[in-house]
Amino acid sequence: MRSRGYPLQYILGDQPFGDLEILCRRGVLIPRPETESYTYQAAKLVREIALDRKDASKPPNKARPLRVIDLCTGTGCIPLLLHASLAPHFQQLEITGVDISPTALSLAQENLEHNLQLGQLASSASTDIRFHRADVLGNGNDNSVPSIESILKTQFPNFGALDTLPPDQESGCDLLISNPPYISQTEFRNGTTARSVRRFEPKLALVPPYSCSGIEDCMPEDIFYHRILTLAFKLKAKLTVLECGDSSQANRVVALHKRLASAESGKSSAEVWPSREKDLAENGFHVTDGSRSVIIQTLQ
Amino acid sequence: MKVESWISILRGLYALLFRYRHVTWNCQSPSLRILVINWTSMLVKSICRTILPRLGLKWSHLRGVHTALLTRARLLAAEHTKLSEQLGESFDAKTAKRAGELAPIANILREWVNANDSIVELKSLLTDPSTDAELRSLATEDLQSSRDALPTISDRLKKALIPRHPFADLPCLLEIRPGAGGDEAGLFAFEMLRMYVAFCSRRGLRPTILKQDTEVGPSDDRLSEAVIEIEANGAYDILRTESGVHRVQRVPATETKGRTHTSAVSVMVLPSFPEDGSEMDSALNFEDPNSDYYIDPQEVRVEKMRAGGAGGQHVNKTESAIRLTHIPTHTVVSMQDERSQQANRRKAWQMLRAKLAEARQEAREQELMQLRRGILGGVAKMGRGDKIRTYNFGQSRCTDHRTGITIHNLDSILDGGDGLDTVMDSVRTWMADSEVEAMVAEDMAKAKSK
Repeated sequence: MRSRGYPLQYILGDQPFGDLEILCRRGVLIPRPETESYTYQAAKLVREIALDRKDASKPPNKARPLRVIDLCTGTGCIPLLLHASLAPHFQQLEITGVDISPTALSLAQENLEHNLQLGQLASSASTDIRFHRADVLGNGNDNSVPSIESILKTQFPNFGALDTLPPDQESGCDLLISNPPYISQTEFRNGTTARSVRRFEPKLALVPPYSCSGIEDCMPEDIFYHRILTLAFKLKAKLTVLECGDSSQANRVVALHKRLASAESGKSSAEVWPSREKDLAENGFHVTDGSRSVIIQTLQ
Repeated sequence: MKVESWISILRGLYALLFRYRHVTWNCQSPSLRILVINWTSMLVKSICRTILPRLGLKWSHLRGVHTALLTRARLLAAEHTKLSEQLGESFDAKTAKRAGELAPIANILREWVNANDSIVELKSLLTDPSTDAELRSLATEDLQSSRDALPTISDRLKKALIPRHPFADLPCLLEIRPGAGGDEAGLFAFEMLRMYVAFCSRRGLRPTILKQDTEVGPSDDRLSEAVIEIEANGAYDILRTESGVHRVQRVPATETKGRTHTSAVSVMVLPSFPEDGSEMDSALNFEDPNSDYYIDPQEVRVEKMRAGGAGGQHVNKTESAIRLTHIPTHTVVSMQDERSQQANRRKAWQMLRAKLAEARQEAREQELMQLRRGILGGVAKMGRGDKIRTYNFGQSRCTDHRTGITIHNLDSILDGGDGLDTVMDSVRTWMADSEVEAMVAEDMAKAKSK
């Protein structure tokens, strides 16, 4: 099986992800080490932002939990690792994982229980982390899968009435993180994508569906970013972390963000991570090739 | 019979055995071979039993207390009495601590002196013609018991005198690397790995193979590097005799013309620090910046090794190698045996800490050696670069070059059996003795210069 490129993780049934052990099964994308690095980086940034806010001597609202949304969660590796690294620093956490695939969602729930059993997660994780089924791209036209908006409305009461709220209202989302499908149809076929990945991992998690909705101003492989960035504005996400396939895609996402930001009010900064030589080497990224992430921070 | 004639007979016998060794060693029937070996060993034993008393030698004498050791013990005991007197006059915490350290030595020395005195007294009683018969029999009994007790007291004295190695209580890492000798060195390194794993299992120490890199080749029994972790406390003290270059002489499996090759395998025994340093005392706590074994994370370059090309969702690589470089010393550690990068990182850090701690300890010993050389001139020390042991397959023997001990049952050594125990014990004794000798020499030099 292995000689035909069948992934080792599917055979063994798990993959280490940080200190966690993530169960893997056919039909769900295997967690990548790059994603592990972004997740740690995102957790670090969230902690720094929280510290800054304390330094600014605003009265810290103890009752308000830290809100995290992970779109296209797959095995649930990102929510679980975030909980593991943030739980010691925040009293209250609310982490939502969203995916379209029922297989992925049941595996994510299993992973939550599995890591609780292993003792890698704090016991609070079972109530802090919730997984929901939703279509990130859909608009609710298809009745079988709820749209992302309807899910977010139940999670965030203020979701619909954003414009009426003062900008520094502490009700938005603290971190919007996502590792959406980002491989283009061409790259999926031309050999950039490894054979083993192409043949055995779910295409649903790798290649965005061919442009169905009327988003004209971006490439077909970038439609998820367009959608997620729009959601980020609606959610008033303080921090948005998106994994991209390579640095040119990351730059396109930054440009897309700028276009969308000009239409919205409020300042924000977008950067590609890792960009410095040191970070590249330390986190195991190749200097020229390889995936990048875009980190968007809302400035106050 | 005269001693000289005994020796000449022995020599003749040995020469005879040596001449026909190929007959005994190469003979086809295993039972005959065993017979010959048994007979030889019996002969040697009986000869030893008959000759040694005639030469006026006794085993107990060889195991007695070294004069150098006694001198040092006396020096320390004298210091103890002086300190106790001082303490009687005025109390001082520092003096009290030193006196407390010295007290056991002084006590054991007193015991030893008492035992010796009683032996002398009893002997004079026995030789005295005026002693009556009943008293004489009692004295004989007492003499026997005193003599029996003496070796244990000597051993205790010795142990008390030798300063404990700073890492003695720690678990250890044992690193095996082939040296000169190409493929053959790799093959023998693999056998040594097996030897140490078997040895540890037999002694009830749990060996964990942290790293086992084999050379790319037809088969994977050619080691390029291996690290075993022995988690038991005190494992460092047990295995520290093994650091150095091990030489092997044999006709390798790869040799086609039947020539004997000499290759080398280097073994390094490193202290393994517990992951959570807080339980350690301050001197060994590597998390404390003031500790000798502290490593500044700023000075360590971390690299996750990754080949070029697309990443992320495009590929699914299973490797998770980590490389740490301590920039000031250029110490490099890489680890790739675990599937999890976190686990590899932890192990790599453990390895790096161990290597740097050993290097720093060695530097300190070197400094001390320089001092001693300055006083005495020429003190032998076995470093990790020195050849310490030879495994000769042709003669089925293993010789340790530090103690000169030779064991003729190579299999029991390579299986990590009793033979290896014997060799290691002899080295441990040698290490203790040379340590003590150096200390005494130093003390005497100090006393002279005063």
